[in-house]
Amino acid sequence: MTLQLGEKHFSSAQPESAARRIVTFKVGDRTFGIDVGMVREIKGWQATTPLPHAAPHVRGVLNLRGVILAVYDLRTSIGMGTTDATATHVIVVVDIEDKVAGLLVDSVSDIVDVPVSAVRPAPDLERDEHGLIEGLVLLDTDIVALLDLAAVIRDGGVEGPARVARAG
Amino acid sequence: MDPLAELKQTFFQECEELLGALEQRLQALDEGSTDPEDVNGAFRAIHSIKGGAGAFGCTELVAFAHVFEASLDHLRSGRVAIGEAPFALFLRCSDAVSDLVSAARNDEPARPRPDLLEALEQVGKAPGAVAPIAPAPAVPAAPAGDVPPGIAALGNLLAMVEAKTGFAASAADSGWDDEPAAQPASTKPGRDIILRISPENDLFRRVIEPRVVFASLPADDIVSIACDLSHVPPLETIDVSDCWMRFVVTMRTELTIEEIYSRFDFTLATEEFEIEVRDDAPANDDLPAAAPAAAPIAASATQASEVSGSVAADLSAILAKLGPAPEAASAPVAPPAAPVAVPAPVAAIVEAPPVPKAAARAPANDAAAARQRQAVSVRVDLDRIDKLMNLVGEIVITQSMLVECVRSLPYDVYAKTAEGILTLSRQTRELQDHVMAVRAQPVKAVFQRMPRLVRELAQTLGKEVRLVLEGENTEVDKTIIEELADPLTHMIRNSMDHGLETPEDRIAAGKGPEGTIKLVAEHRAGRIVISVTDDGRGIGRDKLLAKARSRGIVGADEKLAPEEIDQLIFAAGLSTADVVSDVSGRGVGMDVVRRNVESLGGRISVDSEPGRGCKFTLALPLTLAVLEGMVIRCGSDRYVIPIASVIETQHLASTPIEHLTFGQEVLRWRGEITPLHRLGALMGSSGSPNENIIIIAETERGDNVGIAVDEIVGQQQVVVKSLEGNYGTVHGASAATILGDGLVALILDVDSMLRLAASHERHPATELKLAG
Repeated sequence: MTLQLGEKHFSSAQPESAARRIVTFKVGDRTFGIDVGMVREIKGWQATTPLPHAAPHVRGVLNLRGVILAVYDLRTSIGMGTTDATATHVIVVVDIEDKVAGLLVDSVSDIVDVPVSAVRPAPDLERDEHGLIEGLVLLDTDIVALLDLAAVIRDGGVEGPARVARAG
Repeated sequence: MDPLAELKQTFFQECEELLGALEQRLQALDEGSTDPEDVNGAFRAIHSIKGGAGAFGCTELVAFAHVFEASLDHLRSGRVAIGEAPFALFLRCSDAVSDLVSAARNDEPARPRPDLLEALEQVGKAPGAVAPIAPAPAVPAAPAGDVPPGIAALGNLLAMVEAKTGFAASAADSGWDDEPAAQPASTKPGRDIILRISPENDLFRRVIEPRVVFASLPADDIVSIACDLSHVPPLETIDVSDCWMRFVVTMRTELTIEEIYSRFDFTLATEEFEIEVRDDAPANDDLPAAAPAAAPIAASATQASEVSGSVAADLSAILAKLGPAPEAASAPVAPPAAPVAVPAPVAAIVEAPPVPKAAARAPANDAAAARQRQAVSVRVDLDRIDKLMNLVGEIVITQSMLVECVRSLPYDVYAKTAEGILTLSRQTRELQDHVMAVRAQPVKAVFQRMPRLVRELAQTLGKEVRLVLEGENTEVDKTIIEELADPLTHMIRNSMDHGLETPEDRIAAGKGPEGTIKLVAEHRAGRIVISVTDDGRGIGRDKLLAKARSRGIVGADEKLAPEEIDQLIFAAGLSTADVVSDVSGRGVGMDVVRRNVESLGGRISVDSEPGRGCKFTLALPLTLAVLEGMVIRCGSDRYVIPIASVIETQHLASTPIEHLTFGQEVLRWRGEITPLHRLGALMGSSGSPNENIIIIAETERGDNVGIAVDEIVGQQQVVVKSLEGNYGTVHGASAATILGDGLVALILDVDSMLRLAASHERHPATELKLAG
């Protein structure tokens, strides 16, 4: 589904190397994307251990082959409530700022190549107060929102400066 | 890495340890110890550093160490009384050596310390000190003037060795060198000793060279050194890292056999040298004239294949002293390097006194036994132990998984398996204990760096400080030890700069001019607790609070308890020092310390009493690896509480509970009023907690607290997995672990839970803000 649009847009100027390879996944009817290089693996949902007094989008921690990582519920992050996780839900394990984290989503859709120039800046939306969206890509009929993972996760980690300020 | 670089690395590692030992000994002496073993220990340490440094061509280090060693030798020999020695100078010198070592390690130019060298050379020259007994043998005077004294000293040393071995001058490619021997110093007090040194081929690879070996003997006592090159293989087949030289050293010395053995402690194995005592009787001053004549024949006498012309002279001198031997005395001077036919009578005389030789052997055996006792340690790469530890961790998890599996088996199968599983658990535990023991080290490794820090800071800050160390032998995991140095340095700096007052201020405040900093380590509640206590002015709360307000860390109308104000010292960007100094005061420090400590699963707190002083307490887990835990359940969540914190458990129903204000509950336990917390409420457990059991736990302060939980699931070893690594700090928990079913459970931290509780009480609506 990528090719059509991509070729239409960039047959002339853009060299092949200026493309971004993106993993897309769905939460509800929305499509999100992150660079494939950040994705370490994709695994089915498994039960997490909740963390006390953590931010709402922190689902808890799980054991990934001996490493403890926190799982963040993307649905909560984007303000759509809490995922009622079942075996069909998916955890995207990502590398972010020298940490490993899990992102709980509904399903993973595809891996697509998107030319860099096709990425449009996110409109300055008031609702997106945390700056979760880094850019937008048009893909067929879908709008893929590229996530700024650091921003998604930041609010999950405790003791960020923002958090202390709000607490005070 | 090439082998030499690797050896060099090892040498520097050893240097660290040696420097520690050196400083410790000197410190003890400085504090009034008169134990000769302290002097010897210091001497040995600097001596070993010098030896290794020589092997690696660290000339500045060798030069300095040599002078240092020489002045320490004055103490050893009693030329300078221990009580009169300038230990402050020695301590500064030990710092300088440490600097030289790190300069050599980093290949940086070393800072020359002519001032210290000069001061060192004055040691032993003080009026009243006994002058050195015999002048050094013909040593070409090192060019003085534009050469720093250290280099000159090095030149002297090299020249001395060269003169005595004839290395540089005449190391022929076969047989003995034919340097004429020095005149036997038979007028010197003492006795004549022949040392036959036959080093193993790997001498150089042990980072030892002959010069180092000889340097461990008193230069004045060496009469001659001869080198036997006859074992050297043809040049084209030789491996340059093999040592083929054999030596015969003739000395006249007052050292006892044991002392000679101990001098070779670091360089030679006992089987690599032989000591032969030639004469216990007083020297016969009438005979030296006859000695040179007797030389060549005597030489060939005992060890035709091993004795050289240069030794010959000395042997003959010895022989001459044994008694008039007409044959020897009348023999014409033969060419020195010709070990020809051996006149039997002379040989007989040489073999004659077997008694002293046997006597020399007895202590040698003792020394060998002592050596064997010492040589039981092995240097192992920490990486290997880490791998071992990880593997043990995996085994612990697998084993708990097995236990879980076995439970679901039918009874007859289970009964058979259970025994095996039980044995496996025991063995796993034992294995883990042993691996932990390998990793455990006394905190001394870190503590002993602190006296220097304090000395230097005291000088910089113009304060008088006494550092008291306690509990240096408290053991803790190696990884923790490494992480301790930085926080401790910061804490001590902080105490010295902000805590302690200047002598004038102290006197004005009615205290003694000298401040005290106490560094104490102890085990408590399964943790290592290290405190830094000073008797200074304490934390200036008003100033700290004002600053915190101005920085927006504390709201303008927010009220804080005094203890809460004290904790602000850990907030980022706060410093109360009036003047920003080189030492501290830029407000980076205590917050960094806190972050580092927390990332290790530890915590830091401060208690301050205005005008009386301040105490920082650092609590760290003993290990980052495995702990014995009690698995508990609360609601649908499971947690692990370290067994080390648990004192006892009891039923909630049978315990009288009182309700205080704000829902705070207390229980009476062993006559004490003990606060009670419900885990479900504290940790926000899911499910519906229904507490039945009270766990009485101990805090780091030694207080007790009751924690109500639903159920005790069991007791097992758990592998500590960091939460910080991929997440961050979790209040109430120090880390997490993986249980037998593969799920994660939090490892509870009692003290952190209590803070959580306290913050809930004070600020029920908000997140806690400054919880350490």
